[in-house]
Amino acid sequence: MSESGDEKSDKNDLGSWLIAMGAPASITYLMPSEITGLDIAPLASMLGGVGIKGGMRGVEGEKQSADEIRWLPVIRS
Amino acid sequence: MPSAVGQLGESLMQPFGFFYPTRGLLGGLNFSRDIYALLSQSDHIKYESVGQLAQALSDLGSIRIALAHIDSEEFAIWCGLGKSEARVHLLQLMSEIEQARIRAQESKLRLDFFEYRPSPRALFTSLTQLALVGVQCDVRQLQRVWPRSARTSLSAKWISKFQAIKVFSGRGDLVEIAPLQFVFTVKWKGVGNTDVAIGLIGKHVIIDVGGVRSFVELPAACSRMEPGSVRLSKNKFEINFVVKESEWPTS
Repeated sequence: MSESGDEKSDKNDLGSWLIAMGAPASITYLMPSEITGLDIAPLASMLGGVGIKGGMRGVEGEKQSADEIRWLPVIRS
Repeated sequence: MPSAVGQLGESLMQPFGFFYPTRGLLGGLNFSRDIYALLSQSDHIKYESVGQLAQALSDLGSIRIALAHIDSEEFAIWCGLGKSEARVHLLQLMSEIEQARIRAQESKLRLDFFEYRPSPRALFTSLTQLALVGVQCDVRQLQRVWPRSARTSLSAKWISKFQAIKVFSGRGDLVEIAPLQFVFTVKWKGVGNTDVAIGLIGKHVIIDVGGVRSFVELPAACSRMEPGSVRLSKNKFEINFVVKESEWPTS
């Protein structure tokens, strides 16, 4: 299912974005490469200030991106 | 293919000038027959392995969370549809995904090992992943069918381990432990014995066991808190949160 074209990883492509949104990496194998390789920059540009990175707000205007997984340190007890 | 998936797939292609044969972003998900099977309302669905079913359910859940993070207005612009029409498609799709998940959780799992028989250890991992996405396996059935393909029966040690696997409830509780300090506790029997990773995305906690994921919604108050470490014990994990004082209302 995995073609070499699917391996293309650009931060602005749709596949990377879906993974950043919480989808597992295998999602890129589930969709055709024309889709996962789709450049989302025009979309991000079109959305302007709203932005697809909208979500939780950080402190004092600092935007805390809600579309990236933040893995936490695990302490076993 | 459910109509909402097809329509959404078609609509997603419009702004980018794509045309068939691709069926669109989410329509393309039927490239995974596993997910397609879950979205369809088949009475019997066959998977090659327990792990494959767990992964399909996990992927479905991940897609639902990704969709939940999309602002409906942004989604409408992306789809090139009117706001209300796009919202209807989005909600319908999320509803179908949720229904598929519920169908899978309520379904009767029938195992056989004629084509593939994993080691007890691998099966234990797969059944743990399956429990993480909400599906329980009947251990009595496992004991019954295992010897049909194996030379020996399952040992008492493994039977005991399989019996200890419990379905994850998908819930957690936020408790204040000190001024401005909270703990979000998620219970799952045996979680301490798994190789689990815990993360946050938006307003959800991600629990990842070997690539299979489940999500727990955080209380709204957590959006004004900073997460710390996760304390993992045998049957639960606790995420520490500290309130961002700058966002706390002052009198």
